[in-house]
Amino acid sequence: MAASISGYTFSSVCYHSANSNSDHEGFLLGEVRQEETLSISDSHIGSAEFLSVIEVHNHEPCAQLFSFYDYAGNVNEENLNRILKDRRKNVIGWYRFRRNTQQQMSFREQVIHKQLTHILGIPDLVFLLFSFISTANSSTHALEYVLFRPNRKYNQRISLSIPNLGNTSQQEYKVSSVPNTSKNYASVIKEHGTEFFDKDGVMKDIRAIFQVYSALQERVQAVCCEVDQSERVREKIQEEVNKLKEEIALRKRNSAEEERRLQEAAAVTLPDNSALPDSKHSSLTQVVLSGPSVEPSVERPVNSSSPPIYSSTLPPDSPSAILLPRPQAVGSPGHPSPILGLGNGDGSSSDSLNRQATGQEDQEDDEDSSEYENLVSEQLQPPSLTETVTLGRPATLWPDGDAHSPPGS
Amino acid sequence: MNSLSPEVALSRISPELRPLLCSVVRNGRIGLDSSSCLRITDLKSGCTSLMPGPCCDRFKLHIPYAGETLKWDIIFNAKEPELPPDFIFGEDADFLPEPSELPHLVSWDAGKPECLLQLVKELLQQYHQYQCQRLRDSSRLLFEYDSLLNDPNYGRSMEIYAGLKNSWTGEFSARFLLKLPVDFNNIPIYLLKDTALDPGEDVALLSVSFEDAEATQVFPKLYLSPSIEHALGGSSALHIPAFPSGGCLIDYVPQVCQLLTNKVQYVIQGYHKRREYIAAFLSHFGMGVVEYDAVGFTKLTLLLMWKDFCFLVHVDLPLYFPRDQPTLTFQSIYHFTSSGQLYSQVQKSYPYSPRWDGNEMAKRAKAYFKSFIPQFQEGAFANGKL
Repeated sequence: MAASISGYTFSSVCYHSANSNSDHEGFLLGEVRQEETLSISDSHIGSAEFLSVIEVHNHEPCAQLFSFYDYAGNVNEENLNRILKDRRKNVIGWYRFRRNTQQQMSFREQVIHKQLTHILGIPDLVFLLFSFISTANSSTHALEYVLFRPNRKYNQRISLSIPNLGNTSQQEYKVSSVPNTSKNYASVIKEHGTEFFDKDGVMKDIRAIFQVYSALQERVQAVCCEVDQSERVREKIQEEVNKLKEEIALRKRNSAEEERRLQEAAAVTLPDNSALPDSKHSSLTQVVLSGPSVEPSVERPVNSSSPPIYSSTLPPDSPSAILLPRPQAVGSPGHPSPILGLGNGDGSSSDSLNRQATGQEDQEDDEDSSEYENLVSEQLQPPSLTETVTLGRPATLWPDGDAHSPPGS
Repeated sequence: MNSLSPEVALSRISPELRPLLCSVVRNGRIGLDSSSCLRITDLKSGCTSLMPGPCCDRFKLHIPYAGETLKWDIIFNAKEPELPPDFIFGEDADFLPEPSELPHLVSWDAGKPECLLQLVKELLQQYHQYQCQRLRDSSRLLFEYDSLLNDPNYGRSMEIYAGLKNSWTGEFSARFLLKLPVDFNNIPIYLLKDTALDPGEDVALLSVSFEDAEATQVFPKLYLSPSIEHALGGSSALHIPAFPSGGCLIDYVPQVCQLLTNKVQYVIQGYHKRREYIAAFLSHFGMGVVEYDAVGFTKLTLLLMWKDFCFLVHVDLPLYFPRDQPTLTFQSIYHFTSSGQLYSQVQKSYPYSPRWDGNEMAKRAKAYFKSFIPQFQEGAFANGKL
């Protein structure tokens, strides 16, 4: 069992006691709480400890001795009620102060305690004894206090703790659960409370913060969705890029083989070179069709020799742009950087791509995100995207060329 | 803690409480052992230290009881002297008397000086009841108590102290203090006058300590008030028989009582017998009597003459005369010893019988003198110088 008394109640009791010229007594008001501590450890499943905590909130001093009992120690219930009035239900004990005596309950105190236990109907009524000891020359005075539980056979003395009485530099200031019963305090808070509290009694600041928090949460959720979608798109694009790369590699191999055969054939039958362009045409056309923009080195001769492939999409007024990719356009909106970027992004690009992309990767990364957004915000369908990639340069996407700058850059 | 002398205690106590304390300190004899009176220690005040003058209102009272000393705190309030006091019963934390059985508490009247003393007496009665209750822990001792209680001689003047059970060994001890109903009234006054202190009441107390509940270790002790002790012959009078193993108090106590009574009888008888003896010698030797102790009748000096030889006879009568034989000291009036004293011879054994009456003793003494004197004379002439 533990007991605590608030600092101001304790000092009030001491004040009343020290100022009386004889013994002093009164009642302690408060409440008794039951605390259950459940401790779980590895050795056993769990143990519950029950602790009874007595809290003294207030006190009711008696104006004089023998105010509610007579010489024989018989308690008069009427007088008791007159002293306690409506606070009778809050009584948890009583106290006595006497100077220069032993810390032991006296004969009359025991008699009265038994009767109070019976009359008030509190089985565990406590008794707080203050004794004031002074040395003979009045140089040292000691106030001693002991809390008794006389109705128990054993462990009759309980230690009384006063929160925040001690070295608070090393401890935090403890807030006790003692309710504030001051009327003045309650009226002031009521008057000024509306500036800080809303109608539910919750502090306004807290509500505002909660709102900010929930807004942030929503946004985060939305962004999550966006990220999810764009990631899927990116995945698809990546797949297509990989496929195209494979095709390119295949075609390269095929074209290399074809060339070799043609060369061999040319070496054998020299005058017959009219067939070459056609076959070249066909093979190169194939190549061009599959991935012209990816291989500029291959594309050059192709582009120069087969303008009609791009006739549907290519603007007639910028043949240079069509024919030759602008090297510096890597990183600018007019350059097929998305494809390059895409290739670089997932690390599955071929060596030639990497060579192209070196020195401009940082720019490309920025461009990546911006290009992503552009792609997403314009809500281009993957098939149409593929189409634009295969059939035209990004320069064709934006006829303005330089005028259009991606949002990110 | 040094006890305060009554005067000091009275001077320090608050004036309104002084009469109450006065009666306790001056007249306070309670309990069987009234030779030691109530002592006051630890006089303190319940007022603030700023209060001037004598304002002490609480003290410790030492009360002798059953061979122990009870230390009870008595707490008044100097600022409200009409209120009855409160008590703390020292180490007897279980002792809680019923207030309704303390009439002087229920109707406390601070105007009556003896109110406090009466209240303390009532509390002590309650305490006695409480101790007797504690005897119930031991059936053997309870039997002892009950048997004594039923005896009218001892039942009413008994103090019991039932000691705490020794928590280590579980031993239980008790002490019985009994007042022995011995009549000391007829002891000759002269025997009682010699004590310097106020003798108080003449009382004999028997204290029997039981060190265990089975009464295997019993230690009896006899306490006599100082005058009685002196009258009966000093500390040798305190020898009593040991407690018989397996015996009980109801048999032992009357035995001790009888012993004491017999001693007193001897003393009384001795006095009378001595008186008779001296009276007989006076009548027989008449003018030969030089001097005699007319109060205690313990000494007699005769001056006798035989064939022109004068000599002194000093007769010393012992306390337990006639059981013990008187000592005769013959002294020559002419001869000196080398140390300058008169030559004398002591005779302790001579024809004597305690059954003789005074006259008979005087006659026989005379006869003895006649037979012994020639011998003495020769001795005196031979060994002494003129």
